[in-house]
Amino acid sequence: MSTLKHKGKGPQAMTANELRSGLNVWMTADYEWSRDYTDALLTEDETVIAKMDAVAKAAERFNEVVGAYFIDTVEGKPTRYRERFRTHGPTYDTAELI
Amino acid sequence: MYRYDEFDQEFVESRVAQFRDQVERRLDGRLSETEFRPLRLMNGLYLQLHAYMLRVAVPYGTLRSEQLRMLAHLADTYDKGYGHVTTRQNMQYNWPKLGDVPHMLADLASVEMHAIQTSGNCIRNVTCDPYAGAAGDEIEDPRPMAELIRQWSMLHPEFSFLPRKFKIAVTGAPTHDRAMVRAHDIGIEIVRNAAGETGYHIIVGGGLGRTPVIGQTLRAFLPKADLLPYLEATMRVYNRFGRRDNKYKARIKILVRETGIEDFTRLVEEEFAALEPSDIAVGREELDRIAAYFAPPEYRNDIKAFDLSAQPEGFRKWVDTNVVPHKQNGYAIVNISLKDPERAPGDITAEQMRAVADLADAHSFGEVRTTHQQNMVLAHVRQDHLRALWDELVKAGLEDANINLIGDIICCPGMDFCALATARSIPVAQAIANRFDDHARQQAIGEMQIKISGCINACGHHHVGHVGILGLEKAGVEFYQVTLGGDATQTATIGDKMGAGFSQEELVDGIERIVNFYLDQREQGERFLDTYRRIGTPAFKEALYAKA
Ligand code: HEM
Ligand code: SF4
Repeated sequence: MSTLKHKGKGPQAMTANELRSGLNVWMTADYEWSRDYTDALLTEDETVIAKMDAVAKAAERFNEVVGAYFIDTVEGKPTRYRERFRTHGPTYDTAELI
Repeated sequence: MYRYDEFDQEFVESRVAQFRDQVERRLDGRLSETEFRPLRLMNGLYLQLHAYMLRVAVPYGTLRSEQLRMLAHLADTYDKGYGHVTTRQNMQYNWPKLGDVPHMLADLASVEMHAIQTSGNCIRNVTCDPYAGAAGDEIEDPRPMAELIRQWSMLHPEFSFLPRKFKIAVTGAPTHDRAMVRAHDIGIEIVRNAAGETGYHIIVGGGLGRTPVIGQTLRAFLPKADLLPYLEATMRVYNRFGRRDNKYKARIKILVRETGIEDFTRLVEEEFAALEPSDIAVGREELDRIAAYFAPPEYRNDIKAFDLSAQPEGFRKWVDTNVVPHKQNGYAIVNISLKDPERAPGDITAEQMRAVADLADAHSFGEVRTTHQQNMVLAHVRQDHLRALWDELVKAGLEDANINLIGDIICCPGMDFCALATARSIPVAQAIANRFDDHARQQAIGEMQIKISGCINACGHHHVGHVGILGLEKAGVEFYQVTLGGDATQTATIGDKMGAGFSQEELVDGIERIVNFYLDQREQGERFLDTYRRIGTPAFKEALYAKA
């Protein structure tokens, strides 16, 4: 379920999950997707935001990603705690002990 | 243990084939996410905070060793080498890829398992006392009833789109409820009436989450033959009157509360009276057929008394905390703790799953249980095999001797994995477990249940923890609210909310203060909960917030 409608505050980033792996991705300055948040395009430019929106909808339609949505950022980081958390993955994962 | 009949097997296999096709169509774009999402959820596949998550049903928490080995195989082959035992006795995988899930389900089907009805607004996996069939305090083994309910509720067409999810728990030991029957939509206790007949005490409208409620009696004594018709009648009343307009008011607990238990009971009784019971009531023969699968194993009568005094201290401590009496002379119930302080509560590696499966084969008739406390149980172990079993547990790193002690923390995945979380819960559990790591101290504190949830949905059952912890977040900072005096047993109670929340560090200090306060105040034989009840909230609250 896409909540693409942009009505955020401050620079926006676009995020989604890869359809195949389920992993988190962010839209880059080349309008591609990266699993690394530091590659994310952050912008307040309405024309760029409109293009990000269109690209993300297309990526959903082409079944590359699911659940794309804009997030607010502040000082280069996501504003919401949850979104900040998504950028670095779990702080604990049993996999790392195996 | 129950074995699938032809119908079960064919159904589960056809469901795998169906899902394989659905995934294929999703991957090549014939299905959109909007179309696919409900289909994947019906097969236990969620999209979490970082990746997909597959929830595998463990019916009433019972596994054969070969099933546990298959769960290990799934962890190794399609995930990152571990699984997570949930508070509803299921097994979750945190990192599957979409294209692999049909293979996972096919592998599961080969050992009579699946992930159906582990999500969505249907009747979920029935949960059960993990000591079923082994505990001396039980009136009767509840598993045949749990199996009957499984069969009845599986794909029940009328109850596949309820107002909200529906959770049922059963126990055969009403004096020692280990299944939390009062915190479920429906809880069922096996009871005996004045005439000495066994039947069912039906409890309705319990639940945790945003609005915690302790269930109330719907029928004090239901004759056994009426079970399915009576459940059917209850579900119908819920299905008809439960609110569909507001997700937060959709659970049966809200309906019962708003209708009042008297009126709700009347509605159920009317519906029950109007039912044609012969349509669904199950005959003696079928009940016997199911019960036969749960017949007691072939116990031996010649097991020699086992002398603990000559054994090493570590082993004796473990026996003290993790091993409980069995109804059969010479046997014991063994709890395997999945509460290594360094790990996430309930996590178990593939290697450890195999070790437990081997131990089940060697010492417990090939059978394993998962518990809502996120541990495992070998239900029928010869006492003279305990030492050999413990040696293997030590090798597998599964010898933590903390069952029901302060280190045996129930904890949901929280923000580390869950898409709905408001704060982390795993690091909090680890910090508390580490603070109280000393075994002698844990022993001295005695029975104490800490339960942690990463949001108000309360999967970590915090409302019914002796100490309950709820993780919240404000302006990017996690904080933790405390409840005290909750109880998950036959004397179920919702804990009392304390005041302002704590940071993780302050929280661990606060817990240490109330533990010390309790140790200071307690009278002979009291557990934390008893002392709390005797002395009351204000004194504990003061201790909790006392400044060092
Ligand atoms: C992505 C992961 C998960 C999602 C999306 C999820 C979703 C939910 C939601 C929405 C609720 C609230 C239901 C309500 O409104 O009453 C809930 C409750 C619950 N969940 Fe989860 N959950 C997740 C993981 C888990 C895990 C890992 C466990 C077990 C360890 C679990 C066990 C429960 C339980 C026991 C409740 C019931 C609380 C009650 O009795 O009302 N869930 N879950
Ligand atoms: S309590 Fe909240 S954070 Fe924890 S598993 Fe449930 S939904 Fe997720």
